[in-house]
This record gives sequence, structure tokens and C-alpha cells, in this order.
Amino acid sequence: MSALGDVGQLLLTANLWQAVLAAAVLLLLPALGGVISERSGVVNIAMEGMMLTGAFFAVVADLAWHNAWLATGVAMIAGALMASIHAIVSIRFRADQIVSGIAINIFAAGLTVFLVNRIYGLQDIGHVGPTEGLPYITIHGLDQIPFIGQVVFDQNVVVYIALILLVAIHLLLFRTRLGLRIRAVGEHPMAADTAGINVYLIRYSCVIASGLLSGLAGAFLAIGISNTFVPNMTDGRGYIALAAMIFGKWTPFGAFIACLIFGLGQAIYDNNSAIHISPYLLSMLPYILTLVVLAGLVGRSTPPAADGLPYTAGSE
Amino acid sequence: MGAGLAMPLGSVLLAFVLGAIICLVTGADPIAAYTGLLCGGVGLGCTQGENSALQISNTIVFFIPLVTAGVAVALPFRAGLFNIGAEGQLIAGAVACTAIGVQFQDLPTPVLLPMVLIGGMAAGAIWAGIAGVLKATVGAHEVVTTIMLNYVAQWLLRYMIIGGPLQLGEGTSTSKPIGAGAHIATVFPAGNAIIFGLPSSVYRVHWGLAVSLLAAAAFAFLLWRTSFGYEIRAVGQSQKAARYAGVSVRRTIIFTMLIAGGFAGLAGAVQVAGVDHNLTDKYFYDTTGFDAIAVALLGLGSAVGIIFASLLFGALHSGGAIMQSDAGISSNLVLVLQALILFSIAANFVGEIRRILPFGRAKPTEAIPPEMPPAAGLMSGPPASVEDEVK
Repeated sequence: MSALGDVGQLLLTANLWQAVLAAAVLLLLPALGGVISERSGVVNIAMEGMMLTGAFFAVVADLAWHNAWLATGVAMIAGALMASIHAIVSIRFRADQIVSGIAINIFAAGLTVFLVNRIYGLQDIGHVGPTEGLPYITIHGLDQIPFIGQVVFDQNVVVYIALILLVAIHLLLFRTRLGLRIRAVGEHPMAADTAGINVYLIRYSCVIASGLLSGLAGAFLAIGISNTFVPNMTDGRGYIALAAMIFGKWTPFGAFIACLIFGLGQAIYDNNSAIHISPYLLSMLPYILTLVVLAGLVGRSTPPAADGLPYTAGSE
Repeated sequence: MGAGLAMPLGSVLLAFVLGAIICLVTGADPIAAYTGLLCGGVGLGCTQGENSALQISNTIVFFIPLVTAGVAVALPFRAGLFNIGAEGQLIAGAVACTAIGVQFQDLPTPVLLPMVLIGGMAAGAIWAGIAGVLKATVGAHEVVTTIMLNYVAQWLLRYMIIGGPLQLGEGTSTSKPIGAGAHIATVFPAGNAIIFGLPSSVYRVHWGLAVSLLAAAAFAFLLWRTSFGYEIRAVGQSQKAARYAGVSVRRTIIFTMLIAGGFAGLAGAVQVAGVDHNLTDKYFYDTTGFDAIAVALLGLGSAVGIIFASLLFGALHSGGAIMQSDAGISSNLVLVLQALILFSIAANFVGEIRRILPFGRAKPTEAIPPEMPPAAGLMSGPPASVEDEVK
């Protein structure tokens, strides 16, 4: 049977699309974080590290208190703390935001495994867990809808939260005064400052929000999907989220569509026994697609004008 | 001179102090940790009777690709480009080196060794060249494109050795070995002769050392003694001014990335030809190309600085293993230290501290070193950003 035929068969199953949505949400949360942060003018390639930190502390807290919700809160705070390092270094110290982002990612990779060793006495390849997982919730009634019911209404609780956040963040950015201020700060901070908007406060808040969202994604990965912590378990998802953000042209719904496309690749990868194409070649797809978008072949993707530029009040 | 060195040296010192605090907070003994690093890094102060020469040999093995990859990051820095893709370019070089070394395995060294090294450089150059062309033509930011290309290279590597054309055999995740003619000789002849108290075959240090030092020298020569080096620096200072001086900014961007990728690809090829002689999943998890960013920044973008910074990071990587086995402290402390060094350099914490101290002499305006690219116009700017630098 041809590889294409196999994929075609797979695409008709609700199981696959259920997995696609879950995989997409895992990317959507950090991508939304990236959208918020970069809309305010702070370049953020640190989602990978913030997500990994969240995953680790979710497992630590879950094992200590046996409460998945508490653990999720701890994960979000841990992600936010990582984000505040990025915020302080980028905004207060006007550091190169790319270097700071790389440093966060390296810091998170090193610190989590260092702490696995300190807390649990395990060596570098140790798996920590199992944990009490975040619950899967079936919405009775709606789950009876053919196909859609299983795909959308039989999911982990984080999936529902993420879809609500998607709409909320879209409305926040494009339908509220605060959203207008965030975008103003990202496009023209001096004008925003002149208009009485606190540029620093907005930027700090937005970067920390990206940490909260990435930390939530880490919790979803560690105690929602895997119920264990494995070193470097985010495995580049923070960078795929970055790709999704660019692919989606710095908009929440654009990023979501990108996440669905990338999630489809992930789901096919996970079901690769059913098809005859190398899962490793499939894994390249999100990155190649993003390169194609960046090459301008599928429309232009332009970031906020002041993205990456440190701002000093009173400077020209 | 003094002020120039204060930033990198102070950053390293600050990172070690913060690292010690992290150790203390988590109940690890920082003195035991740093003793282990010192022993594994430079062979001094060993508590378990480790052989010093072996530790130094291991450090140099880490040092070799760091220098070459460090150059691959530092050269684009000079043109105002941030090459985060040294890792992908290194992997592309390693894959090409292996493919050629396997395909033509019967050829003798004088033919095959140049072939695999040049092939690795070409593959790295193509990998970086994609980012260069996208930057110069449609203005796609090289940070994003090189990140994407890193992942494409990683998965290509995995495909090649698992199910792809280079796979050794069904069920394995290694490539076929490259031909003996593609090997770079070790510094000490293989055999059982006792050198520094151990059989000479345990020392993995190889003549790729000469290649990496030549790469650093070539980098300095290119940058300071050629007209193209002048063009690179001109573009890095101001694209607008460079254009008025008759420099083609687009051409400079593309060729800078091509050359940088060539260096990174060489680093990967030398690693295969000198150390591993085949590809394994180890390359999937390799971080040399990211370490190279720290090397280039800490070395302030100069050839001599890159060599010293590579020695430091090579020693830290080599030392991490001994720290883990002797003191029971995870070698990942090295990554923490590396991140702290990056934070410190990026935020110029040293300058801040010197400003706060009553006897600090730093001027309030002391800013990030000129080697750092301006964090401007990140991500994909409009094509105009290549032509008209936003200021």
C-alpha cells in the first residue's frame, strides 16, 4: 500500500484528530505566550526553557502534595519565574533578547536535570514519577456528536482551558483597551509612553504571562500526558511553538492553525506504525513549512515594529 | 585592555559564585563540585587518582570543535548577523562527511580525507547559505531561519541513521563506519606504548587540533587582512554607510553566512573524522553549536578570545564528567554555569556591579561590546530592512 494511501486512511479516524488537538494545544499554550510577549515588543525564544521548567516543577509538586491542580499552579509560577529572569535581563538590563532567551533554555535544561539529581538522587537519565495526572473530561451530551464529539469533547481538561484562553487572548489583544496598549507598546513604545502608557509595566506583564502559559503547557506535558518527568522532555516543542507564532503572523488564531498543522504532523508521527514513511522525515515538516512561510511564498509574516528593541524612557 | 577583559573574566567569576550559591541552596558541596571540574578540566587537584594527561586530552577533544564552531558564530556577529544555526550546520557537515567517507571508503587518506572535510564544509555552507539568501533577498531574520534549519538537520541526521541510506543495519541507530582513509590521526600513535602512565590508545586527542587552530587563524586573517573582512565589518557597523562605501550588503550577508557555515560544517566533519568515525544518535543531542554562541560572546568575537573561551568550555565539559563521578553532582551544573555566563555577558552585570561599587570606574555609558549585534529588527523584517537600516 502506498504511503499516501496509508495517511489517507489514518486521516479518516477520529482517534487521530483527537490526538491532533491534544498535540496542537501543547504547542498552542507557549505559542500564545510568544504572541503576547512579542506583541509587547519583547522577543521570546525562551518558551522551550520555561515549558521544561514548568514540566519539572509540576512533577515535583505533584509528588510532594498529590494534587494535580496545585502542581499545575506551581508549574505556572515556575514558568513565570523563568520568564521574569528574561524580563529583567531584557527590559531592565537591555540585554540582547536572543542571547537571554538562549540562556534561559540552557539554564532550564541544566537546572532541571541538576535538581533531579539533588532531589531524587537519580542520575541524568532518571525518570521521575509516576504522578497524579490532570483529569480527562468527557462532556456528556456533546461527546455524542459523531466524529466531532470524540475529537473535541473527550479531552484533557487543559485542552478546554487552552481553547478558552485562545479566545480570551484574541479578544484581549484586539478588542480591549489593554490589548491596544500592548500592541502600541510593541509597535511604537515612545508614542505609547507619550500617551501615558507604562511601557515597562506592560512589557514585564506580557513576558511573565508568556511564562505562565508556557508553565501550564509544561504541566500538561508532564502531569497531563506523560505522568513523569524525563530530562529535556519538551524536546523542541517550545521552538515549534515559536515557529507556530511566526507561521500565524503573531496572532492567536493564526498560531492555532499553525499548531493544528504541526500537531497533525506529530499525531501522524506517533501513529507511524500505520504508515510507511519515515517519522523522522515527517518531523522536519513544521520547520520546513515555517521556512517556506518566512521565504514569503505564503504571504508575508511581519513582526511588531519594535519587537526586540529595548526601550529607555526619555530616549529618542 | 584591562577594561576589555573585565567583562568576560568578571562574567565567568560571577557565574561561578552564583553556581556555588545554587549548590549550597540545593545541599551540594560547591568545593567538591569545583574540585571535580578542575580535575576533569585541567588535571589538577584530582582526589581519586585520575590521570592528569588523560583529562587534558579529553578537554582538548571538546576544545577542537568549539573553536571552529565558535568562529562560525563570531564571523556573522561581525556582520551584525546572529547565527544560531551553527548546530545544524555542524550536523550537516557531520552527515556529509560520513556519507562521503562511507561511499568512498576504499580511497586512500590523501584523497579521501580532503574529500570528507571539504564535503563537510560544503554541506555546512549550504545549510547556512539558505539562511543567508533568505535574509538578503526577502529579509527573513536569520535567527528564526537558522533555528528552523537546526531542527531540519537534526531530523535529517536521525533519518539517515535510522531507516535511511547510512544505517548500519536493521534495528541499529548508527551509521556505517567511514573508511580508514577518512580518519584524522590521533596525536599519540595508536598502540600499547605507555605515554604519561597510560596506553597511548586511551588518548583521543587528534590532529583536528591543528585544523581548529588554523580555522581561528583564517578567521582573524579574513576579518582583518582582506577586503572582504573589511566589508563584513562595515556591514556590521552600519549597512547604510557600507552601501555608500560601495559595499554590496546582500552579497556580504550571503557570503558571510556561506563562510560561517563552512566553518561549522568543518567542525562536524572533523568530529566524525577525528573522534567517532561514524554517526550516532549522540549527534542528535549534540550542543556544540549552542556552546559556540557562548564561546563567541565570551571571546568577544576575536580569534584569541575564542580560543581561550573554548578552552574554558572544553574544560567545563570534560570536568563535568569527573565532577559527577567523584562528587556525585550532576554534570548538568556545567550547563547552569554556561547559562549564567551568558546572562552575565548579555546583561553586562559586571558593568552594572562596577557602576554600583563606590570604587567602580566604569562609565555609566559602558554598554554591550560592539561585537554583539544590535537586537534590532528581529524576526523577519520587511525586505527594506536590508537596504535601509532602521536607526
